[in-house]
Amino acid sequence: MINADGQLYTIEGFAAALIMIMTAYLVVNATSVYTAGDTHISDMQLEAVGSDALTMMGTPTNTTMYLTNTSPLRMIIESPGSLPNATFKAMFLNLTNSGTGVPSVNDNEVNSTMKYIQFTASYTCRDMTNNVTSYPLSYSRNLTGGEHTVRATKWVIVNKKSVQLCGTTNTDRAVLVEVLLWRD
Amino acid sequence: MARLNEDAQWIILMGFLVSFSFFFLAIIINQSTVVGQTTAESVIEFPKNDIRDVRQVIGQSVNLPNPTDLTVVRNDITVLSMNRKSSVVDYTYITNGNDTRILIHYNNGVTEYNENWSYIKPTA
Repeated sequence: MINADGQLYTIEGFAAALIMIMTAYLVVNATSVYTAGDTHISDMQLEAVGSDALTMMGTPTNTTMYLTNTSPLRMIIESPGSLPNATFKAMFLNLTNSGTGVPSVNDNEVNSTMKYIQFTASYTCRDMTNNVTSYPLSYSRNLTGGEHTVRATKWVIVNKKSVQLCGTTNTDRAVLVEVLLWRD
Repeated sequence: MARLNEDAQWIILMGFLVSFSFFFLAIIINQSTVVGQTTAESVIEFPKNDIRDVRQVIGQSVNLPNPTDLTVVRNDITVLSMNRKSSVVDYTYITNGNDTRILIHYNNGVTEYNENWSYIKPTA
C-alpha cells in the first residue's frame, strides 16, 4: 500500500530544487565585466600626477629663470640635445616617482631598474602652412602597445633664437608638450 | 493530505526578514564600486588642467617681450589645440590705453569655457 501522506512535502522539494537550479543557471550564465570599479580612479590619479609634474617643470626654479622668463621645460625644448633628453627624464621621473616607499632616484635606477611610473614625451609645433609636426623629446622606456597610458600636456612658449623651429627663427613660439605615462 | 504544523510561522517570517536584509546589503555593495567609477570618470572628463594651462599660456603670450610675436603664438595655440587636443581655443587681446582685455573662448566638445579677463596694465 502506498502512503500518500507526504505529497505536499515532495512538491515543496521539487519547487525548491527548481528555484536552486534556476539560480545556479543565472549565476553561471551571467557575463562578467572585467573592469574593476576603481580603474578610472587610478587613471585619474596618474593623470593628475603627470600634469602636476609638467606644471612644476614649467615653473622657474631660480631668480635668473624668473627674470629671463624661462623654465626648466623651456630650456630643455630650446636645446633638446640627443634623444632621450637626460634632464627631462631625470626630472620627470624624480617628480612622479618620489614618495613614501619608493627608492630614491639615482641615475642607475632611472636608466634601468626604475619600476614605477614610466613615460614617453614629445612636443608639437605648427609651421607657417598650419601643418603640425611632433618631435620626440624623452622617454624612460619604449612603448610596446600593451601599456595602459594616460596623457598629460603642457603649453610652453619657447624661442630658439637663430635655430629654426617650425619655419621661424628668433620668434617666440607656443609648443605643446605631451607626455604619455603609465604604471609599470 | 499531510497535516501541516502552523506553530512556527514567525520563525519563517524572521527568516524572510534576514534574507531580505542580506539582499539590500548586497545591492549597496554592488553600487559602491559604481560610485567611485562615476566620480573618477567625471573628474577625468572635466578639463580642469587644460583650461588652467591654456589660460596660463595666453597670459604669457600677451606679455611677450616682442609684441609682434603675439600673432604667431596665438595661431600656434589655436592650431595645436585643434590638432592635438581637439578643442577650439580662441582669444582676443584688446588694449585701450592702460585698460587691457583678454576674451578667452575654450570648447573641447564636452566643456565650454568663456572668460572676459580685464585689468589695468601697470604703466611703470
